[in-house]
Amino acid sequence: MTTVETSATKPMRTPNDSPLKIWFLAPLAIWLTVFFLLPLIFLLWIGFWRVENFQSVPDFSLGNYADIFASFFSKSRYGLALIQSLWVAITTAFFATILSYMVALSIAFAVPARWQRLALLIAIAPFWSSYVLRLYSWQTILSRNGVINSVLKQFGLADYRIDLIYTQIATRIGLIHYLAPILIVILYVSILAIDRVLIEAARELGCTRWQAFTRVILPLSRFGLMTAASFAIIVSLGDALSGNLLGGGAGTSIIGKLPTYASMIMSDYSSSTNLPRTSALATILIVVMVLALAAGFVAADRARRRTS
Amino acid sequence: MTSAAPSPHDLELLSITKNFDSFTAVDSINLKVGRGEFVAIMGPSGCGKTTLLRILAGLETASSGQLYIRGKDVSDVPVNLRSTRLVWQNYALFPHLDVAGNIAFGLTLKAHDKAIVAGKVKAMADLVGLSDLMGRKISQLSGGQKQRVALARALVTEPDILLLDEPLSALDAHLRIRMQGELRRIQKQLGMAFIYVTHNQVEAFSMADRVVVMNKGHIEQIDAPEDMYARPKTEFVARFVGTNNLFPGRIQEIGHGKAIVHCAHGQVQVSTDDPPPVGTGVFVVVQADKLKPAPTGVAGENRLEATVRGREYAGSHNIYLLDLVDGTEVKMTLPQVLPLEINQPTTIWFSPAHAALIRGAA
Repeated sequence: MTTVETSATKPMRTPNDSPLKIWFLAPLAIWLTVFFLLPLIFLLWIGFWRVENFQSVPDFSLGNYADIFASFFSKSRYGLALIQSLWVAITTAFFATILSYMVALSIAFAVPARWQRLALLIAIAPFWSSYVLRLYSWQTILSRNGVINSVLKQFGLADYRIDLIYTQIATRIGLIHYLAPILIVILYVSILAIDRVLIEAARELGCTRWQAFTRVILPLSRFGLMTAASFAIIVSLGDALSGNLLGGGAGTSIIGKLPTYASMIMSDYSSSTNLPRTSALATILIVVMVLALAAGFVAADRARRRTS
Repeated sequence: MTSAAPSPHDLELLSITKNFDSFTAVDSINLKVGRGEFVAIMGPSGCGKTTLLRILAGLETASSGQLYIRGKDVSDVPVNLRSTRLVWQNYALFPHLDVAGNIAFGLTLKAHDKAIVAGKVKAMADLVGLSDLMGRKISQLSGGQKQRVALARALVTEPDILLLDEPLSALDAHLRIRMQGELRRIQKQLGMAFIYVTHNQVEAFSMADRVVVMNKGHIEQIDAPEDMYARPKTEFVARFVGTNNLFPGRIQEIGHGKAIVHCAHGQVQVSTDDPPPVGTGVFVVVQADKLKPAPTGVAGENRLEATVRGREYAGSHNIYLLDLVDGTEVKMTLPQVLPLEINQPTTIWFSPAHAALIRGAA
């Protein structure tokens, strides 16, 4: 510690160490800069611009934000849309995670080991088709004269026709169908990481099958569940397509007929020439997402620390 | 467990057999374990000892045979309702629970009084020496501590029989000896029957009241450790237990509590009360430490002419490898004060009383 030489000599390097290895960071750095940092900074920056004669002018003005927050819950109803979005995203994440967990559990525990890869592949097959295509298919299924209602009519139950299209329930259905394949993979991997001996040990100690699930499998899946749920929330918050195509822009919900926030950003972008304002709206969504992500991280980390 | 007629046995196996497809892992095992007995089941890997233990625990179902615990037929009782508890080879502790949570696990599965559970857990922690670690995470424990948690988690449920699957194999040699002593102490203190599966001879012989040697799914011999060591009954046990020399031969003559066996290297006299008939193929078994080197022997002892081929240094003693005139290999244990020179001819002796006969040589 007190020797003089150590401060003078160069740090020890093994013969296999190369000073060039720092360049292996380059692909990551370039990727992050081009596809993440620059667009993000650009978006945040434009949010402070202002519009003069239908032209965006670089500036550092808080005008856009002042304008948005002035009518957050009244005229423009951005705030209500944000609440709508959060509500749709959280409930979507809840149901998507539970459904995907059940699928992942049945693949991991009910399918023989040699068929599990195939079962997983089939379970995530919807991921191979286009998202928009899947939304249009749901439209034909859910619409007023769609598949469900036609079948009901065939059985003489025309009075019980259900109107799902253009509600936020339809938005959720589209989102869940979109998210499930990814969540199934996340959850399947986390279930696979559970040592099977622990399940046998639980049974041997007197657990019924159900207790082995609630006492061992579920607690040890907690990290995977948290990861899947926060992923689902983030994706649902940012998605405008399902809300537009199945929710009809402003879908019926328990809060009333309201679009999701992402839909609002999209219509704001296409209906006005005020790009700085749209950027400011998008920035607000990003802040909400970061907060949601942080909450998810904390929850997942707690789950992980409890299980390691 | 309640039973109509109290059985003198904690455990009774009646021709338990387990087939996996065409492979018979456990082949009609019969075994009775007395009240509070410590039985070690020993054998090489793949001999069926772990499968047998899993059948006792209810983790595997026997293909045929009956299993009685304290006189009650439990052959069809599912794993979670068995009154046995298993201590797993790699502990299988729950990583999401702390030490106290792991120990209490089995007690919290049914309706329970929290205070009673806490009391039992504490008493068990005291018994196995874990009282200071109750709040620790499993990942923060050493191997020996994990072993104690695994033991406490099983014992706290007050099973009729404790099953142990190579519980000490992951510990270092020093700790293993200490835990052997402690296991024996706990077993005595609780008066509980322990079925201890191991491939480690020293462990089995140091702790058990009786040792069961298994090979290829069947039982070769059941005996107290000293008897097993002194009088192996089959060729497999003679080769597996201790350091024995086996000389194949044929009974030539019997009488006067002795048998004369014709071996490839000459005639050997063996003391025996129950000699097999003349002509029977046998092995003469002599322990390595019962052979003596000397130019002249005591009258009536067996004499072997041999050449010293190699020496294995083992601290207080040496293990010499010798060749007999016909090429048969012989192992001899000698203290350091009696050195032999390598590649020199020598004469070794053994008393007929120190030799045993095993039937079966072709």
